[in-house]
Amino acid sequence: MLSQKDVERLHYGLLSHIQLQGDGEAETLRALSNKFILRNVQSGDTLWDLDSESGDLHFILEGTFAEYLKRGAQSFILRFYRPGKFAFSEDLLLYSKHSDTFSKALSSAKVASLPSVYFQNALRQGGLGVKLMEVLISLSMTEYRNTTYEMLQTSGTNRIHAALEQFPDLLHLIPRRELADYLGISRASLFRSLKEIGHE
Amino acid sequence: MRTYFESLPVYSEYFDEAIDAIIAAMDSGIRAEKGRVLVELGATNKDFWFLKDGFLKEMYRSPYAKEDTLFNMIPPSSIFVNEDTLFANQRPQHYFTAYTSVEILRLKEEDYMRLLQQYPVVINLLYLSGTAEIQKSRRARLSMLRMNKTPDRIEWVQQQRRELYHIMDRITLAQYIGVSRASLYRAFEKNKKYQF
Repeated sequence: MLSQKDVERLHYGLLSHIQLQGDGEAETLRALSNKFILRNVQSGDTLWDLDSESGDLHFILEGTFAEYLKRGAQSFILRFYRPGKFAFSEDLLLYSKHSDTFSKALSSAKVASLPSVYFQNALRQGGLGVKLMEVLISLSMTEYRNTTYEMLQTSGTNRIHAALEQFPDLLHLIPRRELADYLGISRASLFRSLKEIGHE
Repeated sequence: MRTYFESLPVYSEYFDEAIDAIIAAMDSGIRAEKGRVLVELGATNKDFWFLKDGFLKEMYRSPYAKEDTLFNMIPPSSIFVNEDTLFANQRPQHYFTAYTSVEILRLKEEDYMRLLQQYPVVINLLYLSGTAEIQKSRRARLSMLRMNKTPDRIEWVQQQRRELYHIMDRITLAQYIGVSRASLYRAFEKNKKYQF
């Protein structure tokens, strides 16, 4: 069960993305916030994996998660989720298909999760559900756009600069090994680049 | 344009009436010669644009480069918009340049709003499905940009973006796959099968 403080944070998180029209939508949003369930997650545990069948919508209250995309035998970090952000499998939640990604906690974490059934009900009712869907797609598009900026940089140092622009607190949230993986550079390159920009 | 809508995963015959209305509302369009910047997508433009023919370069100002940088290549039968303006009410950070001569159709914002009133469910579904396709394409390209080896990236473009591979010159290809020109040339030298 979520504490009142957590419900407020969650509600504020939703409100910061959705433009409400009328009291009806405000009430629906409040009711939706109350459907979220609290989960404590240990470091290394998954939020969803490749075998998950239902796409829940998660809101990170504490801790950090990485989402990995499976490509052949390898997996690489697609994006990070920090406190105050929504986390979800696009495949499961938005497209009702098998997930190509999985998400793992990089630290102990506290998460509020909305079971898939409530999200789908909200979507069927239109209005707020459709707005929420638009918001989630738009969030993903923006994140991928920013990550593309990072990955288009040919030097490790510029990639770090671009990543810090997107996530100013990145160096405090993400272990160095995961950070090197995310940036697509070796750990040696990462340390050299961090030294160069005065972060080590 | 009908083919574009019919290719969306959400499409069913139930959508045909709304699709006809969208097509009827599109204006006659713009023709632009190679190299022209599409100034029609100005600071406040929230129209929907459909690239009927030709290829576009989507450019942005990178703080780490002296010149504007390629963000993406847009192939024919694609919808594109001023993302910053449409989604976040901000000045656009990207602009579009004709890579070849192009023909573009426009659905004005006011016509979109009118159609949304008329066919709320279908227009919302088409909108969501269209944006979802852009998002999927970005995720797929990111998987390429994370590949460590330049030849793997070239191969990905050859296989997954065949149309672009055949149209891009080497400088554009290097920018598209996020490697230096030197790396690209080395990869071509090593492996003749990448030759155009």
